[in-house]
Amino acid sequence: MPSEQGNSRDKVKRLAVWALLTSVCLIVGYIESIVNLFFIAPGVKLGLANSVACALVLKDDVKGAVAVNLSRILISALLFGSPVSLMFALSGGTVSVTAMILLKKCRHLSVLGISGAGGVLHNIAQCAVGIVFIGIGIIYYLPILLLSGVVCGVAVGFLAKLILKRIEKSGKYV
Amino acid sequence: MKKGDIILCSAICVFSALLALLFLTFKNNGKTLIVKVDNKPLYEYSLGTDREIELEHNTAVIKDGEVYMLEADCKNQICVRTGKISKRGECIVCLPNRVILEIK
Repeated sequence: MPSEQGNSRDKVKRLAVWALLTSVCLIVGYIESIVNLFFIAPGVKLGLANSVACALVLKDDVKGAVAVNLSRILISALLFGSPVSLMFALSGGTVSVTAMILLKKCRHLSVLGISGAGGVLHNIAQCAVGIVFIGIGIIYYLPILLLSGVVCGVAVGFLAKLILKRIEKSGKYV
Repeated sequence: MKKGDIILCSAICVFSALLALLFLTFKNNGKTLIVKVDNKPLYEYSLGTDREIELEHNTAVIKDGEVYMLEADCKNQICVRTGKISKRGECIVCLPNRVILEIK
């Protein structure tokens, strides 16, 4: 049964790549938490770890994008976070990845637009969680969050594009 | 980069600018001034009537619904240079004399 064997080997390979990507996400996220962008506005973050999820979505690996993103969020909450920060990360992560998967089907958008929209929705979701946990006053922060969401999202999309290009050049699987 | 990207991103930018404008204009104007000395609220004044408030070391002024510190006998004059406040939650602080003017 050569085909089945090949299939299971592919599965293992994919699992390994996902695990590798998850660990890359964790490291990038940790580095980002050290180098913060507080001078722009408190709480603003580039979200470099999302570029991995973005790249996976672009590769049409929906399963991988969801799996990597969820495990990244859960593990980083266990390592560095608190229950409240988990709520923020989980809401932002799930909404942005779902949005990117759906927007991928839209023909009028390229990587940059998809990722930008994902970034904005990520921030909107976090703002909604903030209203629940902290209070309605957070809504005054929404304009800054929207703007930074677009900028960071586009930057992340650009990075994802670069990553994909490199991977395709090297001819190795994602 | 496709046309759709540019349209989407600029639409979000315009929307957030409009939202910011909306929030800024509708940010609540305060109604009363609370004067605190040594972190204890001493006096309350309505912003509706213009007046001068003489304190031990400072002079505060309410005019046209806005509050500012006219004079302070301290060295740094930070409270005087803070300018006018009128929105809820804003405050002027004179640290040397432990005076706080807060809008509520």
